[in-house]
Amino acid sequence: MTKTRIRLVDTDIHERVQYKDILEYLDEPFKHYITNCNWIQEKHMPYTQPATAGVDRADAILPDGRPAGSDLAFMQKQLLDDIGHEYGILTSALDPSPSSMHGWFEMATALATAYNDWQIENWLEKDERLYGSVHIAAQEIAGAVKEIERVGSHPKMVQVLLPIDDIMWGDPYYHPIFEAAEKHNLMIGMHHNEPPVYYGKWPRYFIEWHTLIPTAHMKQVTNMIFNGVFDKFPKLGLMMIEGGFTWVPHLMWKMDQQYRDLRHEVPWLKRKPSQIFKDQIRVTTQPAEELTKKEFMSLIDQMGSDEILCFSTDYPHWDYDSPTRALPKMDPELEKKIFADNAKAFYPKLPK
Amino acid sequence: MTEQVVCKKTDIEPGQMIESVYGKHNVLICRTQDGEFYAYLNQCPHQGAPLHKGIICGATTEKSKPGDYHYCREGEIVRCPWHGREFDIKNEGRMLANPNKKIPSFKVKIENDDVIIFR
Repeated sequence: MTKTRIRLVDTDIHERVQYKDILEYLDEPFKHYITNCNWIQEKHMPYTQPATAGVDRADAILPDGRPAGSDLAFMQKQLLDDIGHEYGILTSALDPSPSSMHGWFEMATALATAYNDWQIENWLEKDERLYGSVHIAAQEIAGAVKEIERVGSHPKMVQVLLPIDDIMWGDPYYHPIFEAAEKHNLMIGMHHNEPPVYYGKWPRYFIEWHTLIPTAHMKQVTNMIFNGVFDKFPKLGLMMIEGGFTWVPHLMWKMDQQYRDLRHEVPWLKRKPSQIFKDQIRVTTQPAEELTKKEFMSLIDQMGSDEILCFSTDYPHWDYDSPTRALPKMDPELEKKIFADNAKAFYPKLPK
Repeated sequence: MTEQVVCKKTDIEPGQMIESVYGKHNVLICRTQDGEFYAYLNQCPHQGAPLHKGIICGATTEKSKPGDYHYCREGEIVRCPWHGREFDIKNEGRMLANPNKKIPSFKVKIENDDVIIFR
């Protein structure tokens, strides 16, 4: 694969832990529940797998059979060295959210702590290009804040990760998370996590579900903006990960029009919703629809900003976007923004 | 381009595929269930994935109706290892969802036990 001319900042890379690897970082009795009682996180999408190797790229599975994303050396060879990454943001495959944990918040909190330690030791401190996401079990707010306080000052942690599933994170109950993130110069990264997009239920077909994932992103953005999160935490930024980007102009227009009519209900908003979006929200590009240059440039124009989009591969997942093939050709200045500078400007802890 | 032996017939069982090299090209050699050989560029026309890492399988066909699956053509479809796009090995490597797109192909002939491709 040809290297990109611009050194890429990849805003969505999934490293993956196996239970046997995380055990040494896990406290008792949670280790006991895994080793002696065979606990595994039970989560199941009621569909056929989308591609030839489940949700992974078939060529990213390790030669010895270990799952895609579980080995740094292999990731370096297949992704970071081959493409020529400048930086990559890790977004993991572990999920201590309530929808995965069935309410077991104690295990979720312990897992998040173990995961952060595993991530720091095995990835962030082993490859200077890689930056990380703080995992929290946000349903247990005190534990979540404690975890941000514990690892948030690590120089390579750039954001707190929140899953997009069935919790609306703009609720004031979760604001202590944003307060702690802001304090540590961390942004919020929201990554879709099997949101049940049909009014809390699963669509019949995977293709329906996967088509509508961006609607879950739209709901979170709407919720965060109108609940005043960005007015209350002016230094906070939100990266919307893996929902594509063609929905952005629609939501900006819709929110602005609603704001003109209905501002009285949310008087804490001091800026137009589209301005809040431009100031504090960024969007990763993958999975990119196949657009012509004209269509792509039209969308950027409709967004009113060329500083929102940040390129992402989603390696090693099946719907990976190639840095050289996924987006249409664009002029070098814009290319540099989307492939590197927008992400660098967004994450305060990423070297400029 | 000149003729070149890319593999032996016995290197590929029916319903399998391998990668090989033809001149400067990385190529995909497929053998369908009827024993025939086909050669394509080993690169998905979508985003360039190495097709030999995908699978050869059958496909749900255009005869399917809502609620009624029709599946056949086992061993005649190659599916990309990344996004799972399906290509028809016996119909010029055309994409099932958009037959206007196809994988660049090479001509194939068999001499004794040799699989030879040319343009």
